[in-house]
Amino acid sequence: MITKGPADELNHFKNSVAMTVTLISFGMMFASLFLGYFLVRFNAPAWPPVEIENLPKVLPFLSTLVMALSSWTFVLLEKRGEKKMLWLATFGLGVLFLGLQFLLWNALAESGILVSNGNVPSMVYAFTWVHAGHIVLALMLVLWLGHLIFRNPAQLTDVKLINVGKFWHFLGVIWFLMYLMLFVL
Amino acid sequence: MAFLEQHIHDAPTSFWSKYVVSYDHKVIAKQFLWYALFWGLVGGLMSMLIRWTLAYPGIPVPVIGHMLFPASGGVVPPDTYAMLFTLHGTIMIFFFITPLLIGCFGNYCIPLMIGARDMIFPTLNMLSFWFAMASGVVLFASLCIPLGGAAGGWTSYPTLSTNIGQPGAGQTMWLISLFLFGISSTMGAINYITTVITLRAPGMGYFKMPLTIWGLWLTAILNAIFVPVLGAGLLLLTFDRVFGTTFFLAGAAATSGRGDPILFQHVFWIFGHPEVYILILPAWGIVSDLLSFFARKPAFGYKMTALSLTAITVLSTVVYGHHMYTTQMSPLLTQSFMTLTMLISIPSAIFFANWLGTIWKGSIQFHSPMLFSLGVVFVFGLGGLTGLYLASTSIDLYLHDTYFVVGHFHYTMAASVLLGGFAGVYFWMPKMFGRMMNESLAKWHFWLTMIGINGIFMGMMVVGYGGMHRRLYNPFIYEFLHKLIPINNFISYSAFFAGAAQILFIYNLFKTVFAKNYPAAGKNPWGVGTLEWEIDSPAPHYNFKDIPEVKCGPHEFGNPNLKTGRDYQYQTEELVKV
Repeated sequence: MITKGPADELNHFKNSVAMTVTLISFGMMFASLFLGYFLVRFNAPAWPPVEIENLPKVLPFLSTLVMALSSWTFVLLEKRGEKKMLWLATFGLGVLFLGLQFLLWNALAESGILVSNGNVPSMVYAFTWVHAGHIVLALMLVLWLGHLIFRNPAQLTDVKLINVGKFWHFLGVIWFLMYLMLFVL
Repeated sequence: MAFLEQHIHDAPTSFWSKYVVSYDHKVIAKQFLWYALFWGLVGGLMSMLIRWTLAYPGIPVPVIGHMLFPASGGVVPPDTYAMLFTLHGTIMIFFFITPLLIGCFGNYCIPLMIGARDMIFPTLNMLSFWFAMASGVVLFASLCIPLGGAAGGWTSYPTLSTNIGQPGAGQTMWLISLFLFGISSTMGAINYITTVITLRAPGMGYFKMPLTIWGLWLTAILNAIFVPVLGAGLLLLTFDRVFGTTFFLAGAAATSGRGDPILFQHVFWIFGHPEVYILILPAWGIVSDLLSFFARKPAFGYKMTALSLTAITVLSTVVYGHHMYTTQMSPLLTQSFMTLTMLISIPSAIFFANWLGTIWKGSIQFHSPMLFSLGVVFVFGLGGLTGLYLASTSIDLYLHDTYFVVGHFHYTMAASVLLGGFAGVYFWMPKMFGRMMNESLAKWHFWLTMIGINGIFMGMMVVGYGGMHRRLYNPFIYEFLHKLIPINNFISYSAFFAGAAQILFIYNLFKTVFAKNYPAAGKNPWGVGTLEWEIDSPAPHYNFKDIPEVKCGPHEFGNPNLKTGRDYQYQTEELVKV
């Protein structure tokens, strides 16, 4: 058996190749959604269309803040020794983000913006649904990290932390783009 | 260069861990093989029903007609006809070709040919198969529900595929099924790409890999990038159908908003055109290798072939617009897409010339894998050349949606890939199951298939040029098409002929795999030097006892200075100078 170089480094290399490919795949999916957005936007006679006027402003801003905070705690989680508190903070913020999304959907429905009300509501709902679905997936991965941190620290390697982190930050960036496109610009 | 440590695991013992939830890439490959063959049979049967309807409109299908369509007295009803051509396309592309070429050969060949003990992520590999299985179950279930399966064409363009065009759950199940299949493909792709990058044996540089691996690797890259694009389209269409969003609804179909059906076409073809190459690249790779193996000559222009395949992979991502010339695209765009599409003919011509260069003055052995490979050269030549007609905007405006298109893409995506797949099955059968398939049956299978499929697809091009449109239930209600009835019947006869020829293959395959007291094939029955032929047949579960060290390329044949008594070199042997 031929092995050159430290095993950790090699393991890291293999996993970061795989994670990069994975993120490209996920990225392409979101990019396709954004392509749809741009086609709709540039073909629209006026922007923002009438129905976008009363979109909630505060809730998505809060979501963005929460997402950014959780990314920050995750960065600390990757670097600092004190894992348990930081993990709790990250996971809690992630759940809070999901909660805020639920509030957002409720607020939209209450102000009379339903899924079937045209292009912009369609996009707001569909994009946030798809993103929230991925957040659920990511939270499961974070839970798995939590299991390692609390129960099985010997199995917790840097590679696992960094890779889940990459996915988490990636979803943060995607959310930020969605926030800009749907609620700000 | 550093190498990952790969442990030898104990062989699984129980039936469950050995054959069902196996982590072994070779077992997963075989699972994909049976999966593909089952669906190939279903999809093939559908094509027979389609051809029967076109040849004998209004006449009950013999034998199975009354069982399948009791309400119409055994005649294929029009709505079922739409379902048949939709699912024939879907099944053949996603559930037959993809599992056969990528699922089976990808899994089987990649670790063996690059000198690895398994895929880099065996669990992911297993999950990939079971996602494909779930996807197959959903699709099969959609055939059995009230209103039947999807019937909006394999492209599922809205408005045909929205709730207005397609009431009932069939289309939604189609969407879910393909989404699951997309997850499976993406998982496979991540695995293949990472395996090739990280697990190549010492000495196995990229330009020492067999071209099969090049094809499969490039395919995996396209899969990882473009399958998610389809995923996004499928999701949005599902939302439109289930939750009432209005992405693809326009005009009277939408209660409010201004959705755009064309948007789906964009998303579909951004994926769909690379998909064509996803299907054909593995077949090209296999053929490029086999031509050299059986001409007993080094592959002519090996590096250029690999680079041409890469160039095609890159170009394939920027030509999708040629599927949409008739959607009122700006002429500037159609011209750009036309130019880019025609550019593909340059790398294609390079590797095609390399194929011919490889067999030129070779001492060709006409074994069955070679016959099928030469068949690919022939049918792909025809398919590729007719692609030039369709790439040209002005001609395409006339030929769009005619049988000429059907003939063209069957030549490239169906005939080439099918023959390439058969070549692969015949070639790797001794390594997979330790047994050689019957050669004479294989040769009969080749010639009958070849005659049949050329009758079908050449005929389709002729009727297409004559103006017959695809997807028509009974084209002959139009008087101007009456003259095409005889040739149309000829296509159907050819189809039945080619269909019947597959019985030879099925018989041969089952006999080889399951017969008792079948003679064992040796380690290296074909006399080929790539890594998998140095180990036992069938390959042991750990593949290589010691990870091999690669010292030369995969096609070292006919070197006059070889003193070993063989006309080929194993990749683990030091290259003998000419």
